[in-house]
Amino acid sequence: MSNKEKYNSIFMSVFSVDESALNEEFTFAAVEAWDSLTHLTLVSELEDGFDVILDTEDILHFGGYCNGMKILEKNGVSFEE
Amino acid sequence: MFLNLDKRKSGDIIAYDSTDSSLSVAQLMAEQEKLAAILEKRSVVFALCNNTIGAMNAYLNTVILDSVPVMLSSKADKELLCNLYEVYTPAYVWMPADDEQFFSGGECVYEAFGYKLIKTENERYDIAPQLQLLMTTSGSTGSPKLVRYKNGNLEANAKNVAKAFGWTAEERPLCDLAMNYTMGLNVVNTHIYAGATVYLTNENIMAAPYWDFIKRYKLTNLTAVPFGYELMLKLRFTRMDLPHLTTLSQGGGKLTDKTFRTLAEFAQQSGKRFIATFGTTETSARMTLLDPETALEKIGSIGKAIPEGELMLMDDDGNIIAEADTEGELVYSGPNVTMGYAVCREDLVKGDEFCGTYHTGDIAKRDEDGCYYITGRKSRFLKMLGYRVSLDQTERLVKDGFGIEAACTGTDDNLNIYITNESLKDEVIKYVCEKTGFYKTLFKVNVIDEIPKNETGKIMYKNLV
Repeated sequence: MSNKEKYNSIFMSVFSVDESALNEEFTFAAVEAWDSLTHLTLVSELEDGFDVILDTEDILHFGGYCNGMKILEKNGVSFEE
Repeated sequence: MFLNLDKRKSGDIIAYDSTDSSLSVAQLMAEQEKLAAILEKRSVVFALCNNTIGAMNAYLNTVILDSVPVMLSSKADKELLCNLYEVYTPAYVWMPADDEQFFSGGECVYEAFGYKLIKTENERYDIAPQLQLLMTTSGSTGSPKLVRYKNGNLEANAKNVAKAFGWTAEERPLCDLAMNYTMGLNVVNTHIYAGATVYLTNENIMAAPYWDFIKRYKLTNLTAVPFGYELMLKLRFTRMDLPHLTTLSQGGGKLTDKTFRTLAEFAQQSGKRFIATFGTTETSARMTLLDPETALEKIGSIGKAIPEGELMLMDDDGNIIAEADTEGELVYSGPNVTMGYAVCREDLVKGDEFCGTYHTGDIAKRDEDGCYYITGRKSRFLKMLGYRVSLDQTERLVKDGFGIEAACTGTDDNLNIYITNESLKDEVIKYVCEKTGFYKTLFKVNVIDEIPKNETGKIMYKNLV
């Protein structure tokens, strides 16, 4: 599984959504189901899945599906195919 | 006046919210004059709250003007609200001005600070003279059950909790717990009583604006339920630079011993106070508090009764247990004990049924120093994310929603639902999440061949693994 596939599958499982829902607009502010509990679950799953530890600022500024990839890239995860 | 508001200077700020709007004593009083001409006394008023000054004005002025607010969340499930509306037929409804009305008819009679007051088409009806406020007991398992507060409950609790904490007018508390939740309302009332300003926010703890608000206003007091502390620790909160923070307090469920110790140690090392407390909606929130000086020696303890309150342990026969380290049901007496429950409109004329004493349903023990520890539960409910969740009500929710057999068991972290129909598994999870507002990881649906029952048809929960 590529990192992109892994990243998508974590989002799909945490939010119970199809892959087609994952885009620019899938953000903390816009998605109703994205609350503190889903955020905690998401962060924990991403940390386990990619073997990284996100710092406070990364967790607080995660922002959304697209920005999340940038944050993981900053932590050494590559999304290039 | 309610919460000593008339003893404050007119320029005093009662609350700020995270949009940086403020509500002063003078503004509250000016709105009160307008509302006095609009809001008929002794009316039942639904207050759909969020943590803004609009909701604060609605709550305080409804109580001061001698009507009875039913404290509800503005984000509550529409069907649940409609159900409550039909059961309690409120004469008025407070709601955010931009929100769509969940009931039909009525007219907007007042608007201020982003909140509107709708006069409904319902007739006023008789209610008990001492009834002051109504609050839900749980998350939202669909039950119309409300707790009936009498005059004096909220103020007695505000006074005694403020005294136990040593609150002064200088406190700058964060209130992110909902105002319609007993612990959130306690943060509001105790600090207003002490003459302080309350800082209300709807921001999410896992996003930057929440922490910016704390830093911007140099907030001194945080109150969280166990889940809130788990989130804060995930954010490595103990390493944040929050020099103005002096008091961390907990309520709304039991922390794990590990988290309790982490917080107590953090407080000791950083010169702050960590204060564990215990409360219920039926006792207008808090009834105990643990002296922060002893937190590290008494990990997991809820401490002792607040001033004017009395705690005791009772055995199955109703005898008071005098010995230390013996388990019994935790029973509390004090001026903050409410009157009892209501499940329908007719119940609102009832008088005081608790008569100052509340049997919590929690099993506890007391150490030799007189400090209490919760050890278990007598009745079938959980405390999930700080909310009381009835297993029986959740069971009924599934049974009624799908017309199937169901059984529920669980711990505070996990509610197990047992059903016999494999094909409904996903739908049941989706349904209970929608109805309760809790996230799916808190539920587990197990498909079994048969719900185990005894000869009289009662579910044998012990046989569910």
